Amino acid sequence: MNLAQLKENESGIIIKINDDNLAIQLLAMGFILGETIKVERIAPLNDPILITSGSNYIGIRKSDAKQIEIDKL
Amino acid sequence: MPKNKPQNIEKNIILIGNPNTGKSTLFNALTGLNQKVGNFPGITVDKKTGVFTIHQTKINIIDLPGTYSLSPNSEDEKVAKVYIEESAEDDIIIVVADVTNLKRNLLLYTQVVDKGKHVILVLNMMDLLEKNNQEIDINQLSKLLNCPIIPINAKLGKGIEELKNAIHSFEIKSAKFLEQTFSSNAIDETMLRLKKISEIVNQCIVKKGEDKSYLQTKKIDNILTHKFYGYLIFIGILFLIFQAVFSWSAYPMELIEKSFLFMGNFLANLLPIGMLNDLIVDGILAGLGGIFIFIPQIAILFTFITILEDTGYMSRVSFLMDRILRVVGLNGKSIIPLLSSTACAVPAIMSARTISNYKERLITIMISPLISCSARIPVYTLLIALIVPENSYYGIFNIQGLLVMGLYLLGFTAAMIAALIMKLIIKSKQHSTFTLEMPIYRLPRLKNVSLDVLNKVKIFLFNAGKIIIAISIILWVLSSYAPGDSFEKITTKYTTENIKENYSEKEIETLIAKEKLEVSYAGIIGKTIEPIIKPIGFDWKIGISLVTSFAAREVFVGTMATLYSVGDKDSTKSIREKMTLAKDPTTGEKLYSKATTFSLLIFYVFAMQCMATLAVVYRETNSIKWPIIQVIYMGLLAYLSSLLVYNIFS
Repeated sequence: MNLAQLKENESGIIIKINDDNLAIQLLAMGFILGETIKVERIAPLNDPILITSGSNYIGIRKSDAKQIEIDKL
Repeated sequence: MPKNKPQNIEKNIILIGNPNTGKSTLFNALTGLNQKVGNFPGITVDKKTGVFTIHQTKINIIDLPGTYSLSPNSEDEKVAKVYIEESAEDDIIIVVADVTNLKRNLLLYTQVVDKGKHVILVLNMMDLLEKNNQEIDINQLSKLLNCPIIPINAKLGKGIEELKNAIHSFEIKSAKFLEQTFSSNAIDETMLRLKKISEIVNQCIVKKGEDKSYLQTKKIDNILTHKFYGYLIFIGILFLIFQAVFSWSAYPMELIEKSFLFMGNFLANLLPIGMLNDLIVDGILAGLGGIFIFIPQIAILFTFITILEDTGYMSRVSFLMDRILRVVGLNGKSIIPLLSSTACAVPAIMSARTISNYKERLITIMISPLISCSARIPVYTLLIALIVPENSYYGIFNIQGLLVMGLYLLGFTAAMIAALIMKLIIKSKQHSTFTLEMPIYRLPRLKNVSLDVLNKVKIFLFNAGKIIIAISIILWVLSSYAPGDSFEKITTKYTTENIKENYSEKEIETLIAKEKLEVSYAGIIGKTIEPIIKPIGFDWKIGISLVTSFAAREVFVGTMATLYSVGDKDSTKSIREKMTLAKDPTTGEKLYSKATTFSLLIFYVFAMQCMATLAVVYRETNSIKWPIIQVIYMGLLAYLSSLLVYNIFS
């Protein structure tokens, strides 16, 4: 399952990020493999989405969210 | 404090840190007004440098663009990486970290240390840590990282003196974070760093309760990113900004205009009559006045934009607009350049740097000048007044106001269509992303906002100023000289007795000036292009103005004023009245008919008439190709639209 499939306020554990550049970018922004990730909000037109992990809070497009494999909590 | 230090030695320090860590606030606290913005050689990312002194040691400080890591994702971040790698052996790197998000912030620190650099770690936002129910053991952290650490609160200026002293007494020692650095797999290396960081941080930070830092921010986001209220609030803020830009700026603009008139008169009387007088007063000073008058509007607009950025709201607007802007090949981050363009395309185009995707950044740069900037306002105002009487209303709406709004909408619509077309034409394999941090909401910091606005206005003045001066001189030469002896012939013609009897000395002077202009190089250019612009309803005088306003659009008004003031006996009439009365010499009909005026208005909405913008597009794209394409596509759009409009109305 990937992050784009979560609804608002649902969480998961980050398993893998398929795109290497995206992975490095997200790691540096505090989204770390093995940690909890939560969809806070989906934008009015269904894309992008706001996500949190710990005290990191970012906006990301669905196309990138699809690259993030998760285990739903 | 070490004794017997030699005096007047210099030290260089480099500030680096994640975005939103208060790095700029620290930079401002250290340097105050002793700072300037320049460019890194070869690229156009802003380079903020400053100076301060501590115990007779001069400290040079440079503020790098915010970055999350040394694996760059945009032009800005690339600069930070390269600058760190190429920094001198004895430079001190100050890594600024947000203490409330230490694990993430330390990643950059470990990367810098492992480049073999000498680091002081600064922990900012110490006040927030308490609010988040956390405690930190700084001595322990310093020991584990083997690095000097200074806790500060940049906003309140706490810890700044301690930091200055630490810089002064800094002793170089080598530290490594990872025993060996990977070269093959960046992801594994980053994970290893993060794991080690996590172990260290867990030994130093004690959580006493729940972290509530984001609760308030998320509550605010429930309203500001709401599917209905979110957009409503954004439109409301836009409305407020435009209201402010147009109404608040009226008085200071009048003041600037008057001071330039005063200075012009003063210098005109002071300098001996002649060429130099004309060049300085009519050329350079008038040109500069034309730029300075926009300072109030630009300053007000940038104050709003900077406040919106500083509070964290702009990230939410980008979030809300990303999906919409993507349809036309732009990015959520394009919203800042688009907004800035309503003041001036020059700083707007520079602010497109944060867009990491090349194609999206390029499209943003290419369409920004289509959005009506403040230089078009005087042109719109003058022309609209020619066809619509001042107090005419359609229902409750002032028709002049409606027309101006219509022209803005026209420009914006054209920009969106142009973007869409470029999206289809320009090929790019680069993956487009939008990953943007949502910082916690905070009140705007007055010092940051005012210094930022000051810097932006300065950049605008320098960029536009040097070009306006150059073009003013060229134009002055073109209109003051003529091929062969044409000027002498005119002068001889007016010295005959017959003319001297019928006209006063002053009238003769203006008649001479009028005829001279017509035969001057500028006049020749105007007449040469007349056949091309005739189909869209323009005569050679408008032709000259089109050529002169290639320097900057607002020059149109000044040139028209010059063209119609020469050879006119009545000096009490305004330029608007003179243009209304102007007649076509062959047909005897009104020269500024509805058709010609609308055609001219449309031309100014679309045409690329700004040297300063072209220069900045050249610099930002690092290619002559894009500014040329911009001139051609906007020129064609302007010409064809004017042709259409002229034929509809005539």
